[in-house]
Amino acid sequence: MDQNGTIKEPIIVCRDVHKWYGDFHVLRGIDMNVTPGEVVVICGPSGSGKSTFIRCMNRLEEHQQGDIVIDGIELTHDVRNISEIRREVGMVFQQFNLFPHLTVLDNITLAPINVRKWKRERAEELAMEWLTRVGIPEQANKYPGQLSGGQQQRVAIARTLTMQPKILLFDEPTSALDPEMIKEVLDVMIELAGLGMTMLCVTHEMGFARAVANRVAMFDHGQIVEENDPESFFNNPQHERTKLFLSQILNH
Amino acid sequence: MAQTLASAPPPMNKGFFSRISSYIFDIRFLGVIVQIAFIAIVILGVRTLGGNFAQNAGKLGRAQFICRDGSFSYRCAYDFMDGNAGFDISDPPLEYKTTDSFWWALWNGIINTFRVGILALIATTILGTLAGIARLSDNWLLSKVALVYVEITRNTPVLVQLLLLYFSVVLALPDIREAIQPFGLPIFLSNRGLSIPWPEFMSSAPIWLAFLILGILQFQLTWFFMGRREQETGKPSNRFRWALAGFLVIAAVGWIISSATADNEGILVARSSRIGEFEDIKSVIMTRGGVNHVSEFAHKSDEELEQAALKICVLRDSPSEPNLTNKLRRLGLPYEVNRASSMSRAISSFAEGNCDVLAAPKSALNSALAMLESPASNLIVSVKEAPLTWTVPSFEGFNVVGGWSMTGEFFALFLGLTIFYGGGLAEVVRAGILSVSKGQTEAARALGLLEGQRLQLIVLPQALKVIIPPLISTYLSLMKDTSLGVAVAFPEMYLISQTLMNQSGRALQIMIIIMLVYLVISIFFSVVLNWYNQRVVLVER
Repeated sequence: MDQNGTIKEPIIVCRDVHKWYGDFHVLRGIDMNVTPGEVVVICGPSGSGKSTFIRCMNRLEEHQQGDIVIDGIELTHDVRNISEIRREVGMVFQQFNLFPHLTVLDNITLAPINVRKWKRERAEELAMEWLTRVGIPEQANKYPGQLSGGQQQRVAIARTLTMQPKILLFDEPTSALDPEMIKEVLDVMIELAGLGMTMLCVTHEMGFARAVANRVAMFDHGQIVEENDPESFFNNPQHERTKLFLSQILNH
Repeated sequence: MAQTLASAPPPMNKGFFSRISSYIFDIRFLGVIVQIAFIAIVILGVRTLGGNFAQNAGKLGRAQFICRDGSFSYRCAYDFMDGNAGFDISDPPLEYKTTDSFWWALWNGIINTFRVGILALIATTILGTLAGIARLSDNWLLSKVALVYVEITRNTPVLVQLLLLYFSVVLALPDIREAIQPFGLPIFLSNRGLSIPWPEFMSSAPIWLAFLILGILQFQLTWFFMGRREQETGKPSNRFRWALAGFLVIAAVGWIISSATADNEGILVARSSRIGEFEDIKSVIMTRGGVNHVSEFAHKSDEELEQAALKICVLRDSPSEPNLTNKLRRLGLPYEVNRASSMSRAISSFAEGNCDVLAAPKSALNSALAMLESPASNLIVSVKEAPLTWTVPSFEGFNVVGGWSMTGEFFALFLGLTIFYGGGLAEVVRAGILSVSKGQTEAARALGLLEGQRLQLIVLPQALKVIIPPLISTYLSLMKDTSLGVAVAFPEMYLISQTLMNQSGRALQIMIIIMLVYLVISIFFSVVLNWYNQRVVLVER
């Protein structure tokens, strides 16, 4: 329910999602619904399946059991469904994954031109708009190798947003950054949350979670052990595993 | 802690030996020693080899350096190359007689080396790229087939593969009379080689080529100016389509103009044949065959067709033949070609009345007319020509004539090099693709790029920078390994140089030429590809 009391249809529906890597059971029945505009932060120890879970959202990983429905489209083996979902779901990676052989501007306009079939002018216009918003319009004609980590990650965010996705997935976007660059990326993410973007973030930035998340979900051994609003999650964790995890990442 | 760091270092042991050893083990001193040792080895090696060389060259005797005037000089070391070669070349790319010079024989070999090398290089690039991609395919069968291909070709010697291919594949192909024709196409594959249809340039081609160059210029200009206007107005325009359309229009106009203005081809006919213009041929042949419509020829027997056919005398391999016969075939008229090995034979054959017409360029016909006993009873009729005409191979007795053909030896060497180096290149391509990190693929997929777009726009451009250095050495090895033609008796440069050595007894001089030629080829490829390599290098901070 939002502030007006109307019930929004969820844009992401996950029902009993399972995945195995060989014999290793990574995801053991994940249920999660996300409504448009919601910001969900996913945390948990490494190996708990949180990255795998969000990578299932756009079929970078294949789930083997259960249903994932994104924006009314079921994620199946049908390549048409997969392409359609990937067009509407953007992803920001831990390692940025910019294309090193293309300039910043070409990195951003590549997908709008080739996937959305926009004219170059339109793509470039929107690309510059986003580059300005993330604060680095002057870097448009440089190559990714010439930028700092924080700048690269902001380019990656601009690249994703120029595709005008309905959902954004963040896979530990600040983990590969130097401490002083984390803030510049988080500021951009906070601004996006303010714009009403639907976001699913795997992150250990608890400050970010407190500030903008609607919900925080705790993963452990491929299951969601606790899911709550940030206030209750941080101040009054219910599960033993959550308490341990929070004590480990907050008190050092 | 800080005090310990600031305090003086412990006193050094100043003993004599330790001081000496601290000099000996000084990295700068060791570096100089290694340099000196290396220079000494090089000087010693060069002196030994050079002395040996001079001694052997001296042993060869003055006869090696005989000049035309009978004197002896080192400057005359290559004079023997002007003498008669005196041996035959089975597949000369240029016109070659046994009385031609050694230089000309060698030049034929060099051209053959390039012919087979360049062709194999192109085919290797295609095969290697496909096999490299196939090796990484998700398709189990495809990747395993590629794996087996790569492992077999990479782990056996190229010479063995080549001989196997020559003896058990090319020589095992059917006899020319039962040549394989894939899908009924005019392609003939037999133990004598391969013949395929080929476009032949006619004498009007230069005009058309000039138009093509004009078209390319137009393309560049349109592209440039429309691009500038796009930037000024900010409005997109389909500049590629406009530029391409302009090119096609100019090419078509050039084709029409060069066809219409060309008046180089003709046929020599007897006035008594009642052929006064090209169009008359149709009525003459139809009257002779006793038909009212050309479609009736389909029901005639072979003898009747032979009787009615237009008999054509022509010089072998002359483009005048396909130019004329393609037109007759389009008209549905029967014809018969009598190919002569020289123009004078073709003329005398025509004079003896063996044919109705003599087809050749008009300049040749004019001189032919002058050679005839009664020039007045004959006339020259124009035949139209397009800038290009297709020559299509066909059976003629026990032979396949027309088209572009390669001999069995050429085919074996070409195929052998392609298959061997294709396997090597597949591994290079695979390594290049694997060098592009998984994250790149994930980012491309996450952005919704399709698999083909991902390969074309993201993976291959980045793989290229890893692929190109080993690609250069693959190309160089391939060009040098054309010398394996000696194993299947393909007359490329090395085989011809061997014959030259036997004929002249001047091994040293010829070896020097051969090495220089290979050196030039290799340096050329290195320079071109290194230049390209520098262009694809990534910009880093």
